[in-house]
Amino acid sequence: MANFNIDAKKDLTYDAIVVGSGISGGWAAKELCEKGLKTLVLERGPIVEHVVDYPTMNWDPWDMEYRGGLTPEEKKKHYKNIRSGWVGKDTEHFWADDEANPYTEEKPFLWLRGHQMGGKSLLWGKQTYRWSDLDFEANAKDGHGVDWPIRYKDIEPWYTYVEKFAGISGEALGLPQLPDSHFLPPMELNCVEKHVKERIEKNFEGRNMIIGRVAHLTQPHNGRGQCQNRNRCSRGCPYGAYFSSNAVTLPAANATGNLTIRPYSIVQEVIYDDAKGKATGVRIIDAETNEVIDYSSKIIFVNASALSTAHILMKSTSKRFENGLGNDSGELGHNLMDHTYRVGAIGKVDGFEDKYYKGRRPNGIYIPRYVNIDEKSKSDKFVRGFGFQGSGYRGGNPANIESFGADFKDSILKPGDWEFFITGFAECLPYHDNKISLNKDVLDKWGQPTLTIDAEFKENEKALNKQIQEDAVEMLETAGLKDVMGFDKEHPPGYGVHEMGTARMGRDPKTSVLNGFNQVHAAKNVFVTDGACMTSSSCVNPSLTYMALTARAADHAVSELKKFNI
Amino acid sequence: MDRRKALKKAGLLAGATIAMPSLFSLLQSCKNETRLDWQPEFFTEDEAKTISALIDTILPTTDTPGGLDVKADMFIDKVVAQTYDAEGQQNMRNAIAEFNASCKEKYGAVFPELSDADKTAVLKEAEASSPKFNPGVWGTTVGDQQPVGFYRSMKSMAIWAYFTSEEMGENVLSYDPIPGTYEPCKPLSEVGNRWSL
Ligand SMILES: Cc1cc2nc3c(=O)[nH]c(=O)nc-3n(C[C@H](O)[C@H](O)[C@H](O)COP(=O)(O)OP(=O)(O)OC[C@H]3O[C@@H](n4cnc5c(N)ncnc54)[C@H](O)[C@@H]3O)c2cc1C
Ligand code: SF4
Repeated sequence: MANFNIDAKKDLTYDAIVVGSGISGGWAAKELCEKGLKTLVLERGPIVEHVVDYPTMNWDPWDMEYRGGLTPEEKKKHYKNIRSGWVGKDTEHFWADDEANPYTEEKPFLWLRGHQMGGKSLLWGKQTYRWSDLDFEANAKDGHGVDWPIRYKDIEPWYTYVEKFAGISGEALGLPQLPDSHFLPPMELNCVEKHVKERIEKNFEGRNMIIGRVAHLTQPHNGRGQCQNRNRCSRGCPYGAYFSSNAVTLPAANATGNLTIRPYSIVQEVIYDDAKGKATGVRIIDAETNEVIDYSSKIIFVNASALSTAHILMKSTSKRFENGLGNDSGELGHNLMDHTYRVGAIGKVDGFEDKYYKGRRPNGIYIPRYVNIDEKSKSDKFVRGFGFQGSGYRGGNPANIESFGADFKDSILKPGDWEFFITGFAECLPYHDNKISLNKDVLDKWGQPTLTIDAEFKENEKALNKQIQEDAVEMLETAGLKDVMGFDKEHPPGYGVHEMGTARMGRDPKTSVLNGFNQVHAAKNVFVTDGACMTSSSCVNPSLTYMALTARAADHAVSELKKFNI
Repeated sequence: MDRRKALKKAGLLAGATIAMPSLFSLLQSCKNETRLDWQPEFFTEDEAKTISALIDTILPTTDTPGGLDVKADMFIDKVVAQTYDAEGQQNMRNAIAEFNASCKEKYGAVFPELSDADKTAVLKEAEASSPKFNPGVWGTTVGDQQPVGFYRSMKSMAIWAYFTSEEMGENVLSYDPIPGTYEPCKPLSEVGNRWSL
């Protein structure tokens, strides 16, 4: 890939500025560049060029000094991120430095961040699902939060548009609550997963178990290679076989010649000109030199990820917006949502001892939502719903086997028991009092105010979790599994890494921050298309929806620019 | 629960109270033994001998390599030296001392100096009395994890060190860094040993 243009010195003025280069920022950059706009992407972390900057992508355990273990210094640097269980030597460099970037937890909340070109698009799990009208109509129907200003039909063509470029593998099912994507061939279930699928589908009407829908290429696509089943994705993929900004959208943006990307640029605020009545650019601090620089542009896309985006808007004060840009409603920073996570069941499967698999499939199974989808499936215990992810594999912890010595050692060279687990993701309601606020007492490495996060799961989420665990145990027991164990890790929000809602879309400027095209109601040349914009949280993974909303908003932005409306 | 906490909360025989002989007499007892042929970074020579003896009892050499053949003891020493904080390191020392103290009390010598039969007896008892690891889902343990105690923690570490060694990973276990296709239901006989990755 051609090197990126990182020289933002000679030019302080662009057609468009994009803040952040993660999943949503990458799409904004691609769309705006392809539509001919000179676009500056401001990224707070370093450049991570596809393949070249994936130092660990081919490491085996023995290539690491401590086979993946971290030193106390490394653990300290990631003292918050590490609680996720995802941070090891192989990916440590893609997780943000918690010491340089502190935040305050009023109640426990895990804020997982990736501060580099590509953001969390390098680290994500690639589970990719469309939302449906069940989701877009939910707030209006049960009265929680405000109504979405859009419906499925508004976003449907944009799902197709981003899916065709990104490449999503999966199986079509025709379920109204989980619309089919434009699919590449699905990955395959292994024998135990097929076995469990049959039993569940036979015994529980309306429940389906499918292979996960994932942003992985099961065949070569748009010049990128096919997935080789290495399951080392979060180190960066040498084949470009999963969707990341680094492998997919940013190279496309770069190919237009319209892209400038400036690393180590921490955007502090969006500059609003009271006289002109619009935003005119952004102010950054150079993370390495502490230099403060203003860049100007006609339109600004803020894609720093849900909490960081709201943080930037909160710090963007002016005479017109004393409480933060676009905060006429007082909703900026509120309605923070995530999905509940790690509640489900695990058990053992007998009878497939002579079967194994080859390849480390970077994907598992999915059980789409089956509660509260119609009158028949209505629950009287909670509103909204949940879906399950999971997988079957040969695991078993050899240290648990009550034996040692020669025979023991020879036996553990063979694969262990078949295990199968499912874990639910439940929808979280938008509560006004789940919020973030500016903290001027705790400053970051650059002397800037940080965030205080004050959010919790409430009664509805707890009722959903209870049902998830009960259903999970029942399904696995009915499927004939042994030693079935239900679990609920009672994770506080944040662990699901699906932060949403801190600058929500809505029909009414009095109760929302953004309109139906993701424009700040009262500053229409400012767009927010990351998780901050979400009005409700659905129970399915959100990133595909960020992609579709971003492409849609970029299209609208350029057409409004051409009409001189913004 | 992480391994450090588990070590802190339970000794070898979880639940049992163990009378601690003075550490000094324990240290004395190893004096006349053969010296280690490697220089530990963290362990004292006597501690290192205890770890090596444990690994050799759990994963002995047969027609496939044993734990000591792939230097699992040296690796564990390095891991404790470089990746444990001071508290974790101290817990490790205490746990080894407790383990040896109970060996001494019951069998008259620290673990590395016991006869093979006595070593087997100690580990059989440890197997029977120590709780198991709960299963994990995506990097975290699920359910309410009982402290597994020193023996099972060390067994787990030994197996980890053994399986992730280059010799085991590339030459004994089935090794395939770039599988290409996913074959969902393959006869085990066509794969052989468990996948190393
Ligand atoms: C382990 C893991 C698994 C996941 N699995 C899934 C999944 O299976 N499916 C799914 O849909 N989602 C998943 N997610 C969530 C997914 O990663 C996020 O939804 C997605 O990356 C959000 O995109 P974004 O553009 O909002 O933010 P990010 O991708 O986080 O990008 C934000 C970018 O903005 C930059 N930035 C932040 N602040 C500033 C600033 N002030 N100035 C300049 N730049 C700034 C950051 O450095 C970063 O590059 C997962 C996440 C993790 C961590
Ligand atoms: S599993 Fe597939 S996408 Fe992931 S790193 Fe390997 S080849 Fe790339």
